[in-house]
Amino acid sequence: MEGLVSCSALRLAPDHWRGWDIICSEGTGGSVLAGGRGRLWMDRVKDEVLVQRVASGDERAFSGLYDRYAGLVYGTGLRYLGDRGTAEELVQDVFTSVWKSAGGFDPARASFATWVYRITRNRATDLIRRRKARVRTVEGEPLFEPGETDPSGDLSRNFDVAAALSRLTPVHREVLVLAYFHGFSQREISDRTATPLGTVKSRTTAALRALRETMGFDEDRFSADE
Amino acid sequence: MSEHPDTRDLLGPYVMGTLEPYENREVEDHLQGCASCREEAQDLRLAHERLADLAYGTTAPPEDLEARVLAGIPRRRAGRRVPSWVAAVAAAFCVLAVITAFNLLEDQAAATLNPTGRAPDAGGEVSLRGTGENTELRLEAWGLPPCKSEQYYELWLVEGDERVSAGTFTVGESGRVDVTLNAPNFAASYPRVGVTAEYDKDPRASDAKMLSGELHDL
Repeated sequence: MEGLVSCSALRLAPDHWRGWDIICSEGTGGSVLAGGRGRLWMDRVKDEVLVQRVASGDERAFSGLYDRYAGLVYGTGLRYLGDRGTAEELVQDVFTSVWKSAGGFDPARASFATWVYRITRNRATDLIRRRKARVRTVEGEPLFEPGETDPSGDLSRNFDVAAALSRLTPVHREVLVLAYFHGFSQREISDRTATPLGTVKSRTTAALRALRETMGFDEDRFSADE
Repeated sequence: MSEHPDTRDLLGPYVMGTLEPYENREVEDHLQGCASCREEAQDLRLAHERLADLAYGTTAPPEDLEARVLAGIPRRRAGRRVPSWVAAVAAAFCVLAVITAFNLLEDQAAATLNPTGRAPDAGGEVSLRGTGENTELRLEAWGLPPCKSEQYYELWLVEGDERVSAGTFTVGESGRVDVTLNAPNFAASYPRVGVTAEYDKDPRASDAKMLSGELHDL
């Protein structure tokens, strides 16, 4: 039994996979979605695969899902709950719930993005109720009230797009994240990634095309589920 | 790739509004006479709008927040510290139990591992047994170079570009390993398995492929 390890990679020490960047492996910046860190080992691994691993106690898979959705959950908290402290509480509540409930997730009923969206919406509603105060967005718009769903569907759609983004190849995701989440111009992306400008432009086109195709697939499937 | 991509390649930056004015005119002129590019531009614009909405709704959380979340989640297999001799006896019992249980589980799939140029005399077998929560993966390998300091091997489930780690292990002077790993219940859906030598903290699969094989149902 030489070399026996009694457990799988699920239980490697956390420091084993940290400190590097999901989007720009040459240190040119991190994913806004991920809060600056990432785990390339699970690139293109579907959310539904990761959540199954979370159900068996895999913290790496959990971190992978955190990378993909924490920025959106936090952004949702800021927008709908109004302050950073409560937004952080929302992130903690949502991801604690993901960890605890992963075993009950059924991919046949809904995508992970839809599932985490529902958790986010419900937890946000709970936080609003807990505070017993009418909360408005930073723009002064009224929030969805307790019991009211995301009326415009914007939030739900954002979760689906985040899921689609996570399924792109690293180079496609990189060019879109740098453009949309870091606000870099095509020229700046070219400089930062040491890629010819023409290639950046054609890659951006290909990445948007791939995203559209992935979104199209998801939208078809989700509507069929419903 | 060319420094001057053709018009179709500019459609992405076009819908994003990031082209130079002369490129913009070039694309618009082209779109007037090309229905398929107009259709594609419409598709890309939808992706652009969705992505812009997502970016607007996304904010990077504080860097330490993930650590706080992880600190607060209940571990699925948490346990108290116990005396070392108790741990040793328990570990031996668990190994025995795992071996016994493994032999009772039903075979799902197997793979013969073939060597690469890095270890021409190496070989191995992978078998996948059980179902659901009880899925287990047994790896027997031989002829692997002994691990040096900080080096280890990693077993991967492989499909296309996707790599999912199934566990890590080390080997000593014998170059042999016989290890049973907990496997995800979807492990049998992967068509290939592979073993790489890993030297650093990078959780990606390294390029140092040592063994690989096709996983086939039994």
